[in-house]
Amino acid sequence: MSVLQASQLIKRYQLGVHEVNALNGVDFEAAAGEFVAIMGPSGSGKSTLLHLLGGLDAPTGGTVMLAGQELSGLNDQQATLARRRSIGFVFQFFNLLPTLSAEENILLPILIDGKKPAEFKERLDQLIALVGLEERRTHKPDQLSGGEQQRVALARALITQPAILLADEPTGNLDSNTGKAIMELLRRSCDDLNQAIVVVTHDARAAAFADRVVFLRDGQVERRLQLAQDEAPAQRMRAIIEIMESLEL
Amino acid sequence: MLLTRYLSLRSLRARPLRVLLSMFGITIGVAGILAIGIANQAAMDSITRLFEDTSGRVDLMVTAASSDSGFSDSLARSLVNVPGVQMALPILKAQTALASSSAQTELGLSFFGTNSGGLILYGVDPLGEPQARDYTITNGRFLSEDRQAFEVVLVENYADDQDIRVGDRVGILTPYGVEKVQVVGLMAREGPGQTNNGVFGVLPLEAAQQLFNRPGQVDQFDLILDPKASSPIESIQEVLQKRLGADYSVTYPAGQGRRMTQMLSNYQIGLNFLSGIALFVGAFLIYNAFAMTVVERTREFGMLRAIGMTRRQITQQMLVEALVLGAAGSILGVLLGVLGARGLAAMMSTLLGSPVQSQLTIPPAALAVSLSMGMGVTLLAAALPSIQAGRVTPIAAIRIRGVPRQGWFQRHGWKLGVVLLAVSTALLIWNPFADDPLFRAGSMVVFAMFTGITLIIPAMVDAWERWTRPLMAAIYGASGALGSRNIQRARSRTTLTVGALLVGVAMILVVRGLTGSFAADLRVWVESYLGGDVYIHSSVPLRADLARQISAVDGVAAAASIRYQPTEVRLSDGSFEAITYMAVDPAAYSRVTRFVFSDNRTDSSAALSTLAAGDALFISSVLAEKYQWQVGDAVALRTQGGVRTFTVAAVVVDFFNQGLVVTGNWNDLRRYFHSNEASTILVSVRDPQSVAAVQTRIDDLYGKRYRLSMDSNASIRARVFNLMDQAFSMFDVLALLSVLVASLGVVNTLTMNVIERTREIGMLRATGMTRRQVILMVMAEAGLMGMIGGLLGLVFGVLLSRIFLTGMTAMSGYRLDFVMPASGILSALVVALVISQLAAFPPARQAARTNVLEAIQYE
Repeated sequence: MSVLQASQLIKRYQLGVHEVNALNGVDFEAAAGEFVAIMGPSGSGKSTLLHLLGGLDAPTGGTVMLAGQELSGLNDQQATLARRRSIGFVFQFFNLLPTLSAEENILLPILIDGKKPAEFKERLDQLIALVGLEERRTHKPDQLSGGEQQRVALARALITQPAILLADEPTGNLDSNTGKAIMELLRRSCDDLNQAIVVVTHDARAAAFADRVVFLRDGQVERRLQLAQDEAPAQRMRAIIEIMESLEL
Repeated sequence: MLLTRYLSLRSLRARPLRVLLSMFGITIGVAGILAIGIANQAAMDSITRLFEDTSGRVDLMVTAASSDSGFSDSLARSLVNVPGVQMALPILKAQTALASSSAQTELGLSFFGTNSGGLILYGVDPLGEPQARDYTITNGRFLSEDRQAFEVVLVENYADDQDIRVGDRVGILTPYGVEKVQVVGLMAREGPGQTNNGVFGVLPLEAAQQLFNRPGQVDQFDLILDPKASSPIESIQEVLQKRLGADYSVTYPAGQGRRMTQMLSNYQIGLNFLSGIALFVGAFLIYNAFAMTVVERTREFGMLRAIGMTRRQITQQMLVEALVLGAAGSILGVLLGVLGARGLAAMMSTLLGSPVQSQLTIPPAALAVSLSMGMGVTLLAAALPSIQAGRVTPIAAIRIRGVPRQGWFQRHGWKLGVVLLAVSTALLIWNPFADDPLFRAGSMVVFAMFTGITLIIPAMVDAWERWTRPLMAAIYGASGALGSRNIQRARSRTTLTVGALLVGVAMILVVRGLTGSFAADLRVWVESYLGGDVYIHSSVPLRADLARQISAVDGVAAAASIRYQPTEVRLSDGSFEAITYMAVDPAAYSRVTRFVFSDNRTDSSAALSTLAAGDALFISSVLAEKYQWQVGDAVALRTQGGVRTFTVAAVVVDFFNQGLVVTGNWNDLRRYFHSNEASTILVSVRDPQSVAAVQTRIDDLYGKRYRLSMDSNASIRARVFNLMDQAFSMFDVLALLSVLVASLGVVNTLTMNVIERTREIGMLRATGMTRRQVILMVMAEAGLMGMIGGLLGLVFGVLLSRIFLTGMTAMSGYRLDFVMPASGILSALVVALVISQLAAFPPARQAARTNVLEAIQYE
């Protein structure tokens, strides 16, 4: 049963005098407990797709249904509330508030929602254990490494138990080992928490953690690849790279 | 030059809003200083010109030193015998009224006391007079050569108002009753026709002496000197003064104006100080703007350094920017100042009760001072950031964004702040500036004090924020707590904004505190001075026994005569100072109103009986403070019978004639000053409800006969308080300007914060923060700034007003009880909070409009 379903998404925008067709009729879906990676070269529309899926932007045509709710027709206030309660974001730049501790940063969506952080203690402890920051709870962002900061961002995205977690190049700003650790964490969130996850990446190694890879080019889906998680990681990666090569990505 | 064009000017053009905002502080400061300079000059010029116009070609004037009762006209002979003196023209001044005009005249109120109105007539020498002054005769002719003719030349406008034509015989009031004189001509209201605001006329000297029962007397000799005289006017004045002795004073005509303008000086010092404060706050803004530029352009500077620009070149470019900004702000300030001067001149006309020229000239000195202040302050404020810009390393260009370093000032500035604060507070309390009439050194110390507090702020921001966070969360909701925390970031920027708010709030409180204290004292005095219920005055001298007759009128409880007699008091160095001798009958006076003793332990009945016994005085608290006189001291006054010594019986609060007043009893007035006429009569009625009825009764019985004008004291008080409020409102306006400048700082700082945190705001919006919450977050940050600025401003405002009050006592002799009106405290806090919220709104809205997609990709 898919929590996120997008059909015939079209996105056009004006860039100077030119009209850019960022997306040209894309269908996309993700189910609970499913990990989907979106790949494609620069300008293929993968970030645009993610933004439409997350309600950060409105499509020119087509619909996005999230947990039975139509996202594309919402006004700003409604979209904001949907993002707050049903969607988690992880960005390439970790974007933590420098004045808040790690723990407070994780609780930020709760604070914004005007709820009592105490009620989320159990969830918080669970997430902190998941991302392995037990020793770093009260540290401020400038006392954390890049990888640690991204773990905080991941925990923050998960604190509200969102219907979907969207990540835009989550490893783009990290070294390969740290990046790998973050992908492992995402994978574990998917398995342990039955979390639907969509990751945009152009790193085949990162995409290899997904159950399914969607390849975009020029605003259209070029290929879909189902991966078996019981296969060896190297094998999964090879399958991805093969498609990338065949598509000249 | 090319560099300047490419870098400095373009950088200013790239940030038009910030440039405008920071410039505005300078503009307001410069405008204030210039407006005050222009208006001062205009007031001075107008007053001087009035005296010059009315005194014509007169070089020197001889008047009696002691009183207004005149002297013998035979003095003329000895005057013309002095080498260099060509002519001595006598003047006898008479205050009267036309028998035909309505009895009631409006009581004129100004800084200089009251003016009963009425017609002023000068008895002059018809032959000599035209040589001294140019009378423009518009109708009829000037006085004939007959020195005894009962004829008069009136000012045309006044004659028109009174429906008088040439050839009419008009009745004027004299000590003998109504006497008829013939109007032979009318003069234009220019030159001497401006005397007494045009309610003026001239008649032959001997006729005047006869009409007003002052045979052989004059009040003044106007001297015209021989233009070919070898000795300069100063030495002739000296010779004359020496020859005539201390009973006479020989002065320059314009000298009279000088005294009037001096009285405004305290007021002007206050205005100047407050515009200095506006400029000081403006400097905070400039510093802030340039410090922001350095952070923002770190990459650019790093790149410029990398491609070979020297530190000095970079610093220079920043200073050129400052220069351009300062010049533009100052020039704008000059334009605004010229406009402001018009309003200020109108204000001063009201206070002076005399028109101040509306055509204003810009005094070059004021222009130079205000321009150089504007430029100087801008350069000074920009100096430190400019040096910091030069220190940016080439490697900074490679980093993603400028990392604001914790500078020396943020880490150790509080130590310097504590020292500055301690030293300046000590200096202000010790007050070694008593001899600094313009309060220049004092102002510098106040600026140092504010700088000190501002330097301490960064050290306490953390603690403040932690204490007040729950409050912020309660007011602004969940995002408010985030906004509250944001205040800890960009600390130097925040600090200066809080500092600017603090100064503004403190100034509001100082102004409120000082004017409040002064007004409170003034009110107490006015209440007692205008004691009783009805104030009776007349355009002609009042007979002393009239009070007794009035007290017999049905409904009157008591009536007391008061006489204001000009005299001089001898100072310890042997010189004399002009003061007023107020004569009362202590018993009658006490029935109508009371004295306000400055020491509330004074035994009032004992003091009053000492006064009644004679040869005793109540002195004003102003005189007591100024000359350190105490009860029991002997004080010498110049009287008609020579210098006489009186004993000080009590010190009273009395601001008549700016506090230069002593009170004595009526018998002494008769005995020593040879006068028995009242200036005013105070009446109290039995039933407060019947004031109007009693007033009508007195008017019916005596109004016409004695030319009485009556005002209910309630209405006079209202007018006095209104005048007072007007004078004080100017201070409020200037203090508010400082707050306005500070609010621009809030806009500036928050705008910068919002720009800097664009990506973060994008993340928050993506994470589910609504636009409303973003607005509340920014508003909370501003609210906290307002709260810290407001509360600290409150503390230092109260402290400073107390210190100023003590200082004022030392300098001027006014001893005031400190009164801080609750409205002042409340308004200062409300202003800080409201202004900070209003100022925060534009940047908050900008933050709320952040495009999430652009923001999360924003570097």
